[in-house]
Amino acid sequence: MSEVLSVLLYGLVQAAVLLLVALGFSVTFGLSGIPNFAHGGVYILSGFVCWYLLRKLGWPHLLAAAGGVAVAAVVGVLLYWLVIRPVRRLVLAEVIATFAAGVAMLELFRWMGLVTYEFNLPPVVAGSVTLGELAVDAHRLAVVAAAAGLGLLLWWFGRATRTGLALRAMAQEEYTALSLGIREDFMATVSVALGSALAAVAAVLVLPLGLISINLGYDAMLVALALTVVGGTERTAGLVLAALLLGVATVAASVVLGPHWSEVIYLAAIVAVLAVRPSGILGRLKELEERV
Amino acid sequence: MLRGRVLWVLASVALALGVWSPGARTAPVEPVVLGVPTALGSIEGADSLRAVQLAAEEINAKGGVRVGAVRRPLQVVSIDTREHEPGIPIHDALAALEKLLTERRPHAVVVGAFRSEVLLAAMDVVARYRVPYVVTIAMTPAFEARIASDPAKYRYLFRMGLQSEYFAGNLARVLGYVKSRHGVSRIQFVHQDVLWAKATVGFLETWARQAGWTVVSSDAYPTGATDFSASVLRARTGRTQILVPVFDMPQSGVLLKQVKGAQLPVAVVGFISPAVPATAWQAFEGAVDGMVQFVAEPGPLAVRALPKSVHFNRAYGQKYGEEMRMKLSGHGPGPSYDAVYVVAAAIERAGTLDPDRVADPVQRQAPGGVRRAAPGDRHQPGFPVARSWAAGGGVPGAGCGGRDPAARGVGPVSGG
Repeated sequence: MSEVLSVLLYGLVQAAVLLLVALGFSVTFGLSGIPNFAHGGVYILSGFVCWYLLRKLGWPHLLAAAGGVAVAAVVGVLLYWLVIRPVRRLVLAEVIATFAAGVAMLELFRWMGLVTYEFNLPPVVAGSVTLGELAVDAHRLAVVAAAAGLGLLLWWFGRATRTGLALRAMAQEEYTALSLGIREDFMATVSVALGSALAAVAAVLVLPLGLISINLGYDAMLVALALTVVGGTERTAGLVLAALLLGVATVAASVVLGPHWSEVIYLAAIVAVLAVRPSGILGRLKELEERV
Repeated sequence: MLRGRVLWVLASVALALGVWSPGARTAPVEPVVLGVPTALGSIEGADSLRAVQLAAEEINAKGGVRVGAVRRPLQVVSIDTREHEPGIPIHDALAALEKLLTERRPHAVVVGAFRSEVLLAAMDVVARYRVPYVVTIAMTPAFEARIASDPAKYRYLFRMGLQSEYFAGNLARVLGYVKSRHGVSRIQFVHQDVLWAKATVGFLETWARQAGWTVVSSDAYPTGATDFSASVLRARTGRTQILVPVFDMPQSGVLLKQVKGAQLPVAVVGFISPAVPATAWQAFEGAVDGMVQFVAEPGPLAVRALPKSVHFNRAYGQKYGEEMRMKLSGHGPGPSYDAVYVVAAAIERAGTLDPDRVADPVQRQAPGGVRRAAPGDRHQPGFPVARSWAAGGGVPGAGCGGRDPAARGVGPVSGG
């Protein structure tokens, strides 16, 4: 019983981690249709920026985190205008260009030798909390709370703000949205910058659980892709459900079968969902397309 | 006539001056080239290269290496094989090695492969190019087995660093001591899924079962993994008392943070490469508290009983700064520093750079200096050292091999 509860608790934490990591990619793709495969690069970049501001310049933790988010947003704007816009609407070219930009960022960090244990971030909340017989570090619980709060905030943003509504309009029917005066470039810039900023929020919350490891940039891409495919791009609820399923499944698999199996879960989920339900668990786009 | 004679005299003088002038007499002295093909992005590889450069500079400051009648300076050339990175195939590392061997033509190779998998694959390449090759990082015992299978072919290959069987044997002695002293019986292994770590844990698991331990689990993690929750959960449900990590990747330090965060009632006794440096307390923000870090090579620790290790630490700190010395990795730098001296001495004994004639003196060279030979094997460091972490720093003085009381006591520049 205790083992089941442990798996569920750590599965919930893992789900929150996955959700945070995937939100930025999913929001950009869902709102503007841009597949920003530089997401993993921006995720690690913002971790290093936060580390530099915190450890080298001695900024307060919160200010350093805000600095990381701001730099990521600016990088998002540059990404759109320098990398994505020249190949806009050529979907394959968008994928290749953004993926190349992400790999270039990550390998640049590796070339710079940013690979040792000293590149770590402190937890947002220190100490541990005991839940029954199970102790868990407080930062993990903070990650769960942050993921839930951010999910709600994005849900509200998409429904209650003019920018959010405009972005959703662009995603649903681009030409109608343009005829209503919604500026395409501005909205696309906002969506990429917002996605990049969310990647940075994930970095300052998730990276303290481990360290700023370049390989986590590649893992972030895999996680983001898996959640977006499994959950679907239309509804945040789909993403949350996918995160819960994959989070618990990966923790259970690594405890029962061994740590290697967690990566297999992501790939198996992508293949299974694409084969059985191509729009994702809560998505309906493919069904509608087929009906039309 | 007179003019002809004058010209003849002048020409003779010019010729004599030309023959005897210092510039013409001393042709440029070719350096003795030492190649370092290893994972330079890893802390072990980077520190080992620095140790090699330090030794080369020390030798050059004394006039260089005597090759026959001529003293020649040492020149260090390196290439990054990137073999420590996840997803880098073995043949990429081999290609880097061949590039170094063909383009820079080193007279000997030191440090060598970082990964055992690469070392085993590199053996045939080295045999083909006939270059004395002294490995100081990769640890698989399969290296010696392969040499024994064809000693003539692999006569250029040597080990100066630690071998996993010795590492595991010494670690087993430490664990045996902990068991007898504290009456613990439940042990769990957590290791990196690479050849040397698997060999080490394989040996330890067999030993533990025979020694009456209950093995809770043995968890392998891929290189680059940063989440060790599965092992933390297994430790809790399996009531683990001693957790034995065996890792050489920087990400492994996260395990200590997770163990502390989960308030696991376990003692951590093993090897986590980022927890070796004297700066580990700061880097881990105290999460290293209570760990017994098995260092195995006293290179990064200045041990009084090994004066050369004290000299190495002082010289390293002077050349690269005290901060860099405090960050010295636990595996590689000491043997790599020694390897340069061994190769230089072998060349001097051979009196030539002919690899066939250099290889024999390397074989005969008795190790000494930063490491020390283990009984029964002249090429193993027999001076295992552990550093316990407690109360804000390293607890000094823990020669834990048990066979040499002189090992106890850490030198003045160790930093604890």
